Amino acid sequence: MSEGAENSDGVNATAQTDEQLMVAFSRGSTEAFSELFSRYKQPVFGFFRRRVADPAQAEELAQETFLAILRASSRYEPRSLFRAYLYAIGFKILQAHRRKTAFRATFLGAATGFREPASADTADTELFMRQAVGRLERLDREILMLREFERLSYAEIAELLRLPVNTVRSRLFRARVALRDLLAAPAPNLPARELTESEQRV
Amino acid sequence: MNITAHPVAPEEVMAFLDGELSAAEAQDVSTHVEHCADCAKLTEQFRSESQSLAEWKIETVPAKLENSVADAITKANSELKIGKGNVFIRANSWTWKRWVLASGGALAVLLLVIGISVPTLQRAPQAMMDERVVHGGAQQSDRDNLGAGTMGKIEIPRKLANKDKQSIPAISVQLTNEDSNGRFPKDSSPSTNGYVRTDQLSINAPMIARTVSLSIVAKDFAASRSLLDSVLARHHGYFGQLNISTPENAARSLQASLRIPAAELPAALADLKKLGRVETESQFGEEVTQQHFDLVARLKTSRETEQRFRAILEQRTGKLSDVLEVEQEIARVRGEIETMEGEQKELEHRVSFATVSLQLTEEYKAQLNPPAASISTRIYNAFIDGYHNASETVLGVVIFFAVNGPTILIWVAVLALPAIFVWRRYRKTLAAL
Repeated sequence: MSEGAENSDGVNATAQTDEQLMVAFSRGSTEAFSELFSRYKQPVFGFFRRRVADPAQAEELAQETFLAILRASSRYEPRSLFRAYLYAIGFKILQAHRRKTAFRATFLGAATGFREPASADTADTELFMRQAVGRLERLDREILMLREFERLSYAEIAELLRLPVNTVRSRLFRARVALRDLLAAPAPNLPARELTESEQRV
Repeated sequence: MNITAHPVAPEEVMAFLDGELSAAEAQDVSTHVEHCADCAKLTEQFRSESQSLAEWKIETVPAKLENSVADAITKANSELKIGKGNVFIRANSWTWKRWVLASGGALAVLLLVIGISVPTLQRAPQAMMDERVVHGGAQQSDRDNLGAGTMGKIEIPRKLANKDKQSIPAISVQLTNEDSNGRFPKDSSPSTNGYVRTDQLSINAPMIARTVSLSIVAKDFAASRSLLDSVLARHHGYFGQLNISTPENAARSLQASLRIPAAELPAALADLKKLGRVETESQFGEEVTQQHFDLVARLKTSRETEQRFRAILEQRTGKLSDVLEVEQEIARVRGEIETMEGEQKELEHRVSFATVSLQLTEEYKAQLNPPAASISTRIYNAFIDGYHNASETVLGVVIFFAVNGPTILIWVAVLALPAIFVWRRYRKTLAAL
């Protein structure tokens, strides 16, 4: 979508909030959705890319998320931030993907250990940090990543994960302390510059 | 850091950095951090950690993703422009929860229908019988008109009699004046009903066993029924058998086998024809003179043979085996004599009493508003049926588990361990993703 494009209501889309754009889109303005896509394509792709080792699968899940938004626009109610709504859908798609992968691995014997070769420009410190994140407890890691990368508030994380806000806060603190300790520890040798699924994902 | 010695918890410091505190709380924590080295250090560590995480770079969105979403947007836009309405609203709005709820609801309805229909189907034959009972009850007056004086035996279906003694069963009445030994009661004995012994008949007169078949349609069934009783009484006849059918919304009918003294037959037939319009009539006469003559002759010979054997037994002596042989011959001849005497009596009775097979049918008059049970009765019956259905459904479930429960438990026990193993493996795999 071109910069400064107007939606069907004759309003400049780029000047509108996410929620206004989503309402306009639910009324039929595809320009509004184009603007939303341009704003969130990178964050949503990053959301999956940090949690799924296979880039092709991350791309596919990101596409599925936007298509779900496209299909479910009529059910959108601007009671909460669009960002929280978007990641809630993305998180459900991610969970479904994980269940499917686990089912295939359990009953069909499909391999889950996708190994991603690190790119040449990946710094050792980044690899070390990613491995440290991968060692965090599952739920703590999820909360930490939703806060650090998706910039969700404690309340939004609590709603997304169906946890009390205080639990989110205490677990986030625990995750940060644990990560601090992991990062402060001596850096292990990294002979193989590759990341397993568990080191990538939440 | 000593957490208990701090007025501000470390989590609050973290929340302060994340902007999750109110303005007043943020002011307090900010002031504390400025004067607390530990908290300042913690703040610095958390900031550094966030900076480290920010180094986790993600490559640019692939062009393929942008193109595919752009295509979807274009498609949605074109559908809007050609007037297909809001494609987003038409999109699949059924979540998996709705599908589960809808499927569960449909399954529950199906089970309910099966639960209701199965006991009903099982009870269908019984219900048909009950319906007949109700219909029969509607014709109580007709049953009251049955000739009580000539009624010998009433057969009631055992199932109905045991199930509901308040119900009146479908009428199946058999009337006979013969007792269990085939003898005739005193009030209808041949001597008092014009029965004439064959030995009193002239041996030269032909012996005819008469059979008449009559089919009559009556306008007034109840009146015809009463008239039939009076005709039988007047002509000293009796019912050999009587069946009355009184279905609802259909013509009533009567089937009877009448035994009428042969001498009274013409007059009795004339009276019977007054019951209504005669549809069919047929008469048969079987001459049994020769048959009777032969029977009498053989009987006479057998009796003489018996007398001679008895004379031999009384006058002569001999071996024991000879005596036993003579006694066996006497027993054999006595048996033959009794058989022939029975045949003779039956033959003479057939001659003395003609058999009239009567089919009396009511001239059916259709009713505009057939009588139906009252609303209260129908509601009451509905509640009773509902109770029976519910109890039979519960009973069916109990029986199902009683029959299949042990087998189910065995299978559960056999499959439980592999299922638990697979489930744990699934959970473990899921947790590792």
